[in-house]
Amino acid sequence: MDPEHLAQLEAALGQVTGFIYPNEVELHWSILIVIYPYLTGLVAGAFILASLEKVFKVKALQPTYRLALLTALAFLIVAPMPLQAHLGHPERAFEIFLTPNSASAMAMFGFVYAWYLMVVLLMEIWFDYRADLVRWRQNDKGVMKLVRWLISLGSRDVSPAAVAFDKKAVQFITIVGIPSAFLLHGYVGFIFGSVKANPWWSSVLMPIVFLFSAIVSGISMVLLIYYVTTLLRRKELDMSCLDALASFLFYALIIDLSLEALDFIHRLYESEESIEILEQLIFGKLFLSLTIVQILLGTIVPIVFLAAARFSELPNEMKRMIYFVAAVLVQVGIFSTRWNVVIGGQLFSKSLRGLTAYKLEFGGQEGLLVAIGLLILPFLILALLLKILPPWEDAKTDSSELSEAMTEAEPSEASSLS
Amino acid sequence: MIESLAKPVKALRAWIRGRRAGSRRRRIPTQLIQLGVIFAVVGVGMFLMRQKFVPDTFGDLGHYRAAAVAANAELEPRYAGWQECAMCHPDKVEAKNSSFHRTVSCESCHGPANDHASNPMQLKPELPAGREPCLACHSYLASRPTGFPQIIEERHNPVRACTGCHDAHDPTPPESIQECSACHNTIARSKAVSPHAPLDCEVCHEAPPEHKVQPRAHVPKKPFEREFCGTCHDRRARPPEEIRGVDLSVYEIPRIDLVTHGGTFVCWQCHYQHSPEAR
Repeated sequence: MDPEHLAQLEAALGQVTGFIYPNEVELHWSILIVIYPYLTGLVAGAFILASLEKVFKVKALQPTYRLALLTALAFLIVAPMPLQAHLGHPERAFEIFLTPNSASAMAMFGFVYAWYLMVVLLMEIWFDYRADLVRWRQNDKGVMKLVRWLISLGSRDVSPAAVAFDKKAVQFITIVGIPSAFLLHGYVGFIFGSVKANPWWSSVLMPIVFLFSAIVSGISMVLLIYYVTTLLRRKELDMSCLDALASFLFYALIIDLSLEALDFIHRLYESEESIEILEQLIFGKLFLSLTIVQILLGTIVPIVFLAAARFSELPNEMKRMIYFVAAVLVQVGIFSTRWNVVIGGQLFSKSLRGLTAYKLEFGGQEGLLVAIGLLILPFLILALLLKILPPWEDAKTDSSELSEAMTEAEPSEASSLS
Repeated sequence: MIESLAKPVKALRAWIRGRRAGSRRRRIPTQLIQLGVIFAVVGVGMFLMRQKFVPDTFGDLGHYRAAAVAANAELEPRYAGWQECAMCHPDKVEAKNSSFHRTVSCESCHGPANDHASNPMQLKPELPAGREPCLACHSYLASRPTGFPQIIEERHNPVRACTGCHDAHDPTPPESIQECSACHNTIARSKAVSPHAPLDCEVCHEAPPEHKVQPRAHVPKKPFEREFCGTCHDRRARPPEEIRGVDLSVYEIPRIDLVTHGGTFVCWQCHYQHSPEAR
């Protein structure tokens, strides 16, 4: 055995309390598996937020529609990376598509992911941006022109009929997309909820709880990104949009908290043989991350903040600050929710008589550095996407006006304009 | 040749033009055609990759390559099985099969012997030598079943080969179990590999002689206070050689301050004295 690994095992053994089986001392699912549902939840949540504007016609959310779609895409691209880093051999990942195994819930996730990425998200973004891409291309030069030509698949048609078709297509894909987004994150909950040997995970409520926490995390992430990008662009924040985001975040938080409470009360009332070890877990190893961070700081405090700001007559500057703080707290809370599920579920023995501890590595394939890198990567991808596909209202109108001017002008004038 | 083809091609073109002009069907939007091309490329790519990478017999029997079964069946067997050994070595196999090693196959120690079975004179199997082969099963490991005979190599007759004292075909212990271990064998075996191995049971458990006759009516004493462990493990305790009349000089006895260590708990709530992990 590797001496370094032996030293780690010995350090972990010092943390063990009670009776634990030998293969339970070290945790098998590391921080990377915490990041995976966190990222997937953000994708599903951001997409559901985008669909509020399209399907349910919440006009106040118009400024965040495209931003939410791009956020979902940026996080979706990174979502499988923690799994691949955890398993190793990412070059073999495509094999699950070649030999589909319908008996494996994890293998089927590949198809859910591919469906969501290719059929839902990319197509919706493509149809929504297509006409704009064609118009922007006219003023572009060099690499950007080529990139936008490639993304628009060489499309040229910006006739009213084509644009009308795009709108219809977006509408249709969004309607298909909502159950798909539910499927995507419900599925992550399903993977945990279906582990019947683990009383902390095994619950039919798991997919629903995951789904609502996804909606909460997605809305708050889009709120944060909208807030920060608008400030960076030195533009005015749309207060009605922020208010609408805050309202939806508030309602989603209430439902999320209710579901979590329902799950908790249900377990407490059932009082299966696992309840004692779960009690030790909640009030011992997970006290800080569950009771303090997840429930108090990540759920109750944001609910109070949002209610206080949304339904009172505070000045707008004050409201914005409160929304921002609440959204940051929600993100911290959701991350600790994922932590408590993934890490918490492995901290107690199957004997229900002992607890172990998780030692987070700093470097290495499953260490803190990789985790931080994977959390930063979506923002870098998002920054790139914002460059290529600016979601801002002004970018849209300016260039469309310009292109109209160009189509009306003579070719020589058009070239002088650009 | 070309001229003869030109006429029907012209006619076909004219027919298509006519159909286009005459048809009232809606045109397929160009966007869908562009996307369709992408999806078709991905679909065809997947199809070709399946053709190239998925083995022919994959999925015939289950989620694996069915031909792997036949490929494995064709491999040359390396193990003969103990029945084959019994044909020439009935005495050894019979001794083994009625001993504690009855579930251990001959080839677990002697290695794969199919070649030997087919050519007994020329190809001889391994004769295990030294301590290593036995230690594979009998060196101390916390995860082995309680009571399983285990040794700590450095402490158990170092350097001597196991077969000097133990017969591998009939590994009955060289000394028959007696005294406490006659009934408390599981504890005795754990204690034998623990730091408390040099101590007799009676150092801690004073047993009346009647205990051996009526064990339940005359129960031996158990330590019931912290100070008992403190006679060896308190930092103010006497030096090891003066303790209990046992030569403990080779051991480093863990010492603690009995007043401050462990609060109000008694020692055995945290430390199991018979276990090798007693500390």
